[in-house]
Amino acid sequence: MPDLENEIRNMIAEIIEKDPAQVTLDAKFFEELGMDSMMALEIMAGMEKKYKITIPEEKLTKLTTLRETVAVAKEYLERKNA
Amino acid sequence: MLNIEEIQKILPQKFPFLMIDRVLELEPGKKIKALKNISINEGFFSGHFPGRPVMPGVLIIEAMAQAAIIMLYQPDAASADDQAAYYLASVKARFLHPLTAGDQLIIEVEPIKVVSGAGLVKAKASAGDQEIASAELSFSIKNG
Repeated sequence: MPDLENEIRNMIAEIIEKDPAQVTLDAKFFEELGMDSMMALEIMAGMEKKYKITIPEEKLTKLTTLRETVAVAKEYLERKNA
Repeated sequence: MLNIEEIQKILPQKFPFLMIDRVLELEPGKKIKALKNISINEGFFSGHFPGRPVMPGVLIIEAMAQAAIIMLYQPDAASADDQAAYYLASVKARFLHPLTAGDQLIIEVEPIKVVSGAGLVKAKASAGDQEIASAELSFSIKNG
């Protein structure tokens, strides 16, 4: 889902105030992109709002790379549409 | 809904830093509507600004944060020491109109996402039918 990936990449880049090009699929949010846990919550809330999904709290620790984050969004979008 | 005595029991902030006078509506954890009356006797008006009283925007944000604390208050905790502590992490705000003496500041707060260690809320400030400011606040929550 390239669109989903790009949308989420842009959202993350805006929240962490980095260039979207730096948010590669496997760049580590905390170690490499300087993200903190509050920003991770903003990303989760941003995806919930944009895609009208509800992501449970325990998924917060899964948000460590763009690849993982897109996977979480995809999982809950598929559940919504199921 | 909550008078000033009840508010003082909930908020860790004390004089002269209480930014909520009364709670008008409250759905714990879901929604709050609170007010602060702005008087010319407010201490900050003597310097902000001489001859032109404008309530500092950061204090409007503080009022939003205090309303959020009341909204998330858990009455079950045994004592004040058991209450969670809140640390502001980020603020995204837009200020639309200045607030001055004689205005009645109305603050409305709703959660966007609250998890066990952190929260993100959206808040709106208005006076009469004029919107004063809107903001998103995030904060970490440390349980007592």
